[in-house]
Amino acid sequence: MRYKVTHITNYIYDFPAVLCHNLMFQIPPDLPFQNVEEYLCEISPKPSTEIERVDFFGNKYLYFSVERSHKNLTVTSKSVVELSSPSWVSVKPDETMPWEKVVALLHTTKTSTDVRQYYLESKHVNFIDGIGDYALESFTPGRPIMEAMLDLNTRIFNDFAFTPGFSDISTPLEKVFKHKKGVCQDFAHFSLACLRVLGLSARYVSGYLETLPPPGKPKMIGADASHAWIAIYVPGHEWIEFDATNNLLVNDKHIRVAVGRDFADVTPLKGIVYSGSKQEMKVSVDVRNLEEVE
Amino acid sequence: MIESYLIDKMFNNEPFLDEMATDQGKIHPHWERIAKYYEQIGSGRMGQFHEEVGRQLRENGVTYNVYGDPNGMNRPWILDPVPMVFSSDEWEGIEKGLLQRTELLNLILGDLYGDQTLIKEGKIPFELIYNHGGFLRQAHHIKLGGEQQLIQYSSDLARGPNGKMWVLHDRTDAPSGAGYTFENRAAMTRVFPDLIRENHARKITSYYQTFKNTLTSLTNNKENPRVVLLSPGPTNETFFEHAYISSFMGFTLAFGEDLTVSDGYVWLKTIKGLEKVDVIIRRVDDVFCDPLEYKSNSHLGVVGLMEAVRQRKVLVINPLGCRVLENPGLMAFLPKISKHLLGEDLILPSVATWWCGQPTEMKYVFEHIESLVIRNIYRGTHKKSVFGGNLSKEEIEKLKREIRRSPYMYVGQEMVDFSTTPSWINNKLVARNAVFRSYVVADTENKNYKVMPGGLSRSSPEKGAFLVSNQTGGISKDTWVLGKGKEVATPVAKAIKIQPLVRNVLPSRTGERLFWLGRYLERAAYSVRLMRMTLLSYNEADEDIHVHDNPVLSTLLQTLTVMTGTLPGFTVKKNLKNPEAQLLSLVHDVKKMGSLAYSIQSFLTNAYSVRDRLSLDTWRILDSISEELAKMRNADTTLMQAYQSLDNMVVKLMAFYGLNIDNMTREPTWHLLNIGRFIESASNNCLILKGMLTKSFDSESNKELMEDTLRCNESLVTYRYRYRSNLEMHGVLSLLILHEDNPRSLIFQLLEIDNHLSTLPNQDEKELFSIERKKLLQAITKIRLCDIDEISIPNVVTQEFVELRVLLDEIIGLLHETSDSIYEKYFSHTDTRYSMIQSSVIPEI
Repeated sequence: MRYKVTHITNYIYDFPAVLCHNLMFQIPPDLPFQNVEEYLCEISPKPSTEIERVDFFGNKYLYFSVERSHKNLTVTSKSVVELSSPSWVSVKPDETMPWEKVVALLHTTKTSTDVRQYYLESKHVNFIDGIGDYALESFTPGRPIMEAMLDLNTRIFNDFAFTPGFSDISTPLEKVFKHKKGVCQDFAHFSLACLRVLGLSARYVSGYLETLPPPGKPKMIGADASHAWIAIYVPGHEWIEFDATNNLLVNDKHIRVAVGRDFADVTPLKGIVYSGSKQEMKVSVDVRNLEEVE
Repeated sequence: MIESYLIDKMFNNEPFLDEMATDQGKIHPHWERIAKYYEQIGSGRMGQFHEEVGRQLRENGVTYNVYGDPNGMNRPWILDPVPMVFSSDEWEGIEKGLLQRTELLNLILGDLYGDQTLIKEGKIPFELIYNHGGFLRQAHHIKLGGEQQLIQYSSDLARGPNGKMWVLHDRTDAPSGAGYTFENRAAMTRVFPDLIRENHARKITSYYQTFKNTLTSLTNNKENPRVVLLSPGPTNETFFEHAYISSFMGFTLAFGEDLTVSDGYVWLKTIKGLEKVDVIIRRVDDVFCDPLEYKSNSHLGVVGLMEAVRQRKVLVINPLGCRVLENPGLMAFLPKISKHLLGEDLILPSVATWWCGQPTEMKYVFEHIESLVIRNIYRGTHKKSVFGGNLSKEEIEKLKREIRRSPYMYVGQEMVDFSTTPSWINNKLVARNAVFRSYVVADTENKNYKVMPGGLSRSSPEKGAFLVSNQTGGISKDTWVLGKGKEVATPVAKAIKIQPLVRNVLPSRTGERLFWLGRYLERAAYSVRLMRMTLLSYNEADEDIHVHDNPVLSTLLQTLTVMTGTLPGFTVKKNLKNPEAQLLSLVHDVKKMGSLAYSIQSFLTNAYSVRDRLSLDTWRILDSISEELAKMRNADTTLMQAYQSLDNMVVKLMAFYGLNIDNMTREPTWHLLNIGRFIESASNNCLILKGMLTKSFDSESNKELMEDTLRCNESLVTYRYRYRSNLEMHGVLSLLILHEDNPRSLIFQLLEIDNHLSTLPNQDEKELFSIERKKLLQAITKIRLCDIDEISIPNVVTQEFVELRVLLDEIIGLLHETSDSIYEKYFSHTDTRYSMIQSSVIPEI
């Protein structure tokens, strides 16, 4: 699949801001099954400093500062990405390693810290009460890891109601678990907590997914959103991605931008702005399927 | 004295381990002279010396704040006149051990933020580091030039049962206390000069010289580096030390709001504009240093600092990330790592530590929990260490559950009986447990480390207390290392250039505080004088006559309301009925904005935050103002008592100003203080004249009001001397408005503002007159042009001095505009409100 993604973030202040410093995680990486044909970032007003760096988790990010008075800040990321089916699609779930063996392997120095770091708790992924029991229902003794993971994915999809507006970034995982409501980010954090509490390595993936309009209706521009899902580490197959929000084993429709322990590591855009006033933020994401257009 | 100490110690059934004597009661050789000296002087003299030590510290303004305690601000620093003493022989071992430990920690630090070989090889458990809040992923692969990444290191040591010094804690983030060691030594040297000389207690000053040289060798700007000390602010517990070290070392004391990142550099906001910063000595904890990359709600740091560090445009000491070594869990692994990395046994043992991240160790901790101290590997405010023996069964179960949930976050540490040292408490020599904090600094020129031959020891005020800290009320001790060291060569002062250049730098925030210091000083002084008049008049008033029928008293009360900005107050008729309670609250209610207590509190707050700019003698006066305020705030005060304390207060406030006239160099600091002062006095002068003299009553009352107005301006004597006549409006107004030689006249005050203003930077020479000076010129001209005869005569019909009122209102307006314009020019970038913005909209798919 080939997609064109346009991600626009717009801040509007009541009074001019004199200075702002920002970190942006919106640069899609090249991967064996993701080819970034084009990437362009436009920032208005033009930043005084703009530096591209690589973070601890291997993501590219942009640091920029705007050092003059402005009432409006617009960040536009445009990319054209071609996706192909990842190798994990052909993996037979029942032939993967029993999950306990994976845990044992992860907890030795044979596994690199780059992988091991993803079995620890993190800011948004905590080992809340009852989470282990929830996970163990899918992760029964000796069960092949991918089979168990698919089962967990389906259970979360069935047990949790997709409810925009129920949660925000500060909503604790306990509340999501208790009410079984949330959006993709909550489901991703919840999935991660289930896996990590068992000792498995799993990481947060941020990116985009095309939303399809209801049958017969035209697609609205900017109606898409950034999306989040997870990747679990399976020895021999590296990171395999699952999307609990859509009950999917990720294939060639998910455009990846960044990975981290949770949302906090890969917030698409965050910054500190020197202004005493209130601000308003608008985000619009548009994912076009270029193959359909042609 | 010594004998009774030993007898107490020997017969109290506790393990005998003492710094001064063996368990046989024999004095250690290095203590002999000192013990003999105490014996000679006896407890009477010792008590005097103790007081003398306390006085020395108080006079130097040495304080220690206690967090969260409003009365704990600026608590005097307590020093035991009995030092902690190390013999030359023993010190050699300790020094060696500290150097080895610093080297080792430095290697570990470099590895953790580099290749992580120690983790890969399993020498350090992965969970111990990656779960620790001090492991900053943002600092990965960032290095200072050279091999030394750990620049300042401190550790707390105590003597264990085997007679050796053990390490209790490592401090690697922003170790504090070194400044106090200097003050302690200074006080002890004054009180016990002979004792220190005869025992050859080693000098500790080379520590900071080494530190300075290291900074110069590390920074890019070797010619004239600008060094700032980043402090969390005046409410921080060791703020005294931040101010002290800054002025002693020639650093600029700065708070987060004084600094800004632009173009990749860190800049200091000064009243001259932005000045580039080369080095930041940080006393702000790691994750508070940059809200962009760490805690977004921190207002103590500098936004974008990490990026400036990455670009190597600023040097931060200690580098961000060092806190990962403040990890008690590491102690369990140090002996093996030492063998591995250095090929040596660890010289200084750590207190026995079991890290619960390993099953066997966790099992041990669970089985022995009642005899262990349980600590979180990451020292946070809400995670205090607990002694298992003090917990109930339920509490132990709860603790075990917490440990089971995240075992790698906990260690168990042995609860040890540490040695006691003689301490002078309540006029008696008694045995108390003591902890010694050492200070090590990198010497990058010689590629090694240097240990301060001394340090900060602390003992617990209560018997047998194990956890000693200043926050819980510890007593500090000077630390003496006796005898000459092997290396006596003191480092050569190379970094002297730092000093003269930073002297004249004035951060905008400091400028603003000085401006307000001046304003509150005058506001308080005027309030005091007007209140004295009011209280006198109230006491003399005829009780049968209603206050609002007493023109003098009601005018005074109304003027007081207007001047203190506490409207409606006495301008409402019913409030005049029983003015006593309201009057009293205007004196001592510190929560009431505009009250005298409020102004004095604000005056003190501003003074504390610029304490590095004020002379030490000034501190004595500030202390006594603070004491006077405390007395005044006493809720039971009667009006008569209030009157007395007003008398004391005004003298002290003026003493503060008088001392500054003598001591302050005529730099922008001085000028801003005075601009604030004269703007305030000019405004108050106007308000008092307007309130007191623009109405006309019977001639007796008029006379009284004129007299009070002159008294409020301390000008009654001048008037009598000049006019030798009865009080007349013409004379009074001439003296208080027009006479340029009377320092209490409006014209004098306005001219003073202009004088001081003209010396400040950015008074653009091309324009000759800035907006603020134009406003002043307007006010000055208005006064010079005014017709004194016209303003001294009341309107025939209304009996009010309308012309006078109009003139005063105009002057007040112009003063406001002047003040605003000064603010805009010099302090506008002190408005540093900022907030976090982020893609808060959750991806909603």
